[in-house]
Amino acid sequence: MMRMTVKGIGVVGGFGCGVAELSAALESGTTNVETLSVPTAAGKVEIPAYRARTGRLEEFVPKRALRRIDHYSKLGLLGAYLALEDGGMLGSDPGRLGVVIASGYGATATTFAFLDSIIADGDICASPTHFANSVHNSAAANISIMLGAKGPSLTVSQFEMSLPSALLTARLWLSEGRVDAVLVGAIDELSDLVGYLWHRQRGVGNAQAISPLDFDRESSILGEGAAFLLLTRDGEGYCGIDDVETGSLGAGTIPVASDSLLLLGADGRKEFGARYRELAGSSPRVACYSPLYGSMPAAAGFDLASAALSLKNGRGVPMAGDGIAGTSAVDRISAIRVAGADEYSAITLSL
Amino acid sequence: MTHPWPVAITGLGCICAAGTDVDSCVETLYTGRRAPAPPVRFGSDHPTRYPVFEVAGFTEAPELLRTSALGLHAAREALLDAGFDRDQLSSLKVGVCIGTTVGSAMNSEAFCRDYRSGNDPDLEPIERILRSNPASVIAREFGCTGPCQTVVNACASGTDAVGIAASWIRGGVCDVVIAGGADELGRITYNGFISLMITDDSPCKPFDRERKGLNLGEGGAILILESEEVRERRGKSPRSYLLGYGSACDAYHLTAPRPDGAGLRSAIAEALSCCGIAADSIAFVNAHGTGTPDNDRVESRVLADIFPGTPFLSTKGYTGHTLGAAGAIEAVFTVACLERGMLPGNAGFATPDPELGGTPVPVPTRVAGTIAMSESLAFGGNNSVIILGKREAA
Repeated sequence: MMRMTVKGIGVVGGFGCGVAELSAALESGTTNVETLSVPTAAGKVEIPAYRARTGRLEEFVPKRALRRIDHYSKLGLLGAYLALEDGGMLGSDPGRLGVVIASGYGATATTFAFLDSIIADGDICASPTHFANSVHNSAAANISIMLGAKGPSLTVSQFEMSLPSALLTARLWLSEGRVDAVLVGAIDELSDLVGYLWHRQRGVGNAQAISPLDFDRESSILGEGAAFLLLTRDGEGYCGIDDVETGSLGAGTIPVASDSLLLLGADGRKEFGARYRELAGSSPRVACYSPLYGSMPAAAGFDLASAALSLKNGRGVPMAGDGIAGTSAVDRISAIRVAGADEYSAITLSL
Repeated sequence: MTHPWPVAITGLGCICAAGTDVDSCVETLYTGRRAPAPPVRFGSDHPTRYPVFEVAGFTEAPELLRTSALGLHAAREALLDAGFDRDQLSSLKVGVCIGTTVGSAMNSEAFCRDYRSGNDPDLEPIERILRSNPASVIAREFGCTGPCQTVVNACASGTDAVGIAASWIRGGVCDVVIAGGADELGRITYNGFISLMITDDSPCKPFDRERKGLNLGEGGAILILESEEVRERRGKSPRSYLLGYGSACDAYHLTAPRPDGAGLRSAIAEALSCCGIAADSIAFVNAHGTGTPDNDRVESRVLADIFPGTPFLSTKGYTGHTLGAAGAIEAVFTVACLERGMLPGNAGFATPDPELGGTPVPVPTRVAGTIAMSESLAFGGNNSVIILGKREAA
């Protein structure tokens, strides 16, 4: 399988914005947990959450041009611009640039806003603006429009497995020579809907920190953000992505290279604890960075961004809380996620 | 471009307003029957009752979204046509790639209505969405352990899913891919498209001078793509081959096509060049042809420039615009037309529009040739094109 180079990283999440702030969070091992106010039948409830801010987008796009663009697309735009800037391709001809967006739930706030327009005022008052922006590929469209990127554009929604699935297609585009570079981004946003579902399923939750390796305890905290990787066939970059495995486990086992640092996608959700515990037991070196950005399908993108930074720095970074980290030299990382009944992804990165 | 070799299509399945399997759908196309009508399965307080193309007599299991059930129905037919059962699939690396627009959207109106009323609503509508991801449903049903991808590229989703599936075969990622699209009709898309003022209040008239917009439809279609190694080992004859795929973004507007059709031209150019086929080898084009003034103007002008004199048609006059399913349904129809050497008439077309680049085939028309093209244009400026060929063209 063709190796891809991670040439640039663009991230915005609870830890802040950009590679420097993600690096700082990785070094410190902490991110400030905020709250999300969720309407419920019993009134507003504050649940812990990692919030992402898109103010820096105005460094790249005039404020006026952002008037009709919703938070979900702004997250994507900021991630895309930061990745291009980080990869030294901001302002380059985007004619051979592909865009692949992965989202677990899409633009849920705008989807709800469209439904609100019908519920509040009747079918005849349905909002065309909200409808157009609620379409799953709205972020990809806005990115292509703003960047002038006329190559292939794809949006994938495979819930927890969206990003691994998207990477698979990005790699084929590169190997087929359809594009010279691909912006692969994972985006998920907080909204009334996402917050309410979380609250109904998990209660008020844990206000302090995710303990991802305390497998028997529910400690998840909602997150939002965008994590973009600028991928190329070759050249200088953070590291390479050697392999992308995704599918259903069936009776098999997850393929993990024995010399890899294992980066688990564990995020404090108890329902996946047993499977992650089993995986953790298979490797002497395990890391998990979900306490820096929270629980969301797009966290798979933050895992890869963190892995790429760790590889570039030549070491696994220490982790607060659970303390299972490698500060020793690392030149290969396997990022593993599990979801659903037996879905999994295994993405191998190396120097 | 380094993906020149053809990928075998060994099975087809389809369900839409034109019929509940491939044969009945194709029969409907050639007889010219169509019966769009105001929606039966849901109501609306619009004073105008916009016609749609519903799948009559199809009932989904309560635990699944209708979208996924439509996809599953088509997948069963396609796998049967390909000669695969679950046991045979278990020994192969089988991927699933499905296009949709509403199949993974968190848009339960019932849930939202109850929630906004200040209640704690039943979570079942949301849980149904979460367990109904169209690709995952098919993968679970048939025990597929390969990659699984739900493509949400708006109205180009079905075409993209088929094109991506071919890449998975060529790239050695899968032995077999269950590829296609599925979408259901509902109040969200019904009200949404009406709000955009691109919906016709009468049966749609693609490429006609009097066209006023689209009629929505619903359905699902699946194509079974298979590696040559597996196909030859099974001794299975292909129904067709996927020869080329191209896609490009307009980078112009969220809902309107680029007036000069540059994105569509690029997608067509890529699809043709990647398989080394000249434009004059295309026997016919199954166009997107929604019946909206903008789409049909842009699309017909591009076709006239690149394929002068080549017959084209839209089959949406028989199915309505099935959104994420459309590209897959039209791929199935394209294969069927190649097999028969005959095009159905473009339903709804009566009067040529001098502003367009040409006129579609108005009545059933015999076509020679072994290669055809199917294309989709979508919200977000996505343009996607696949080239399909008979065995002798591969």
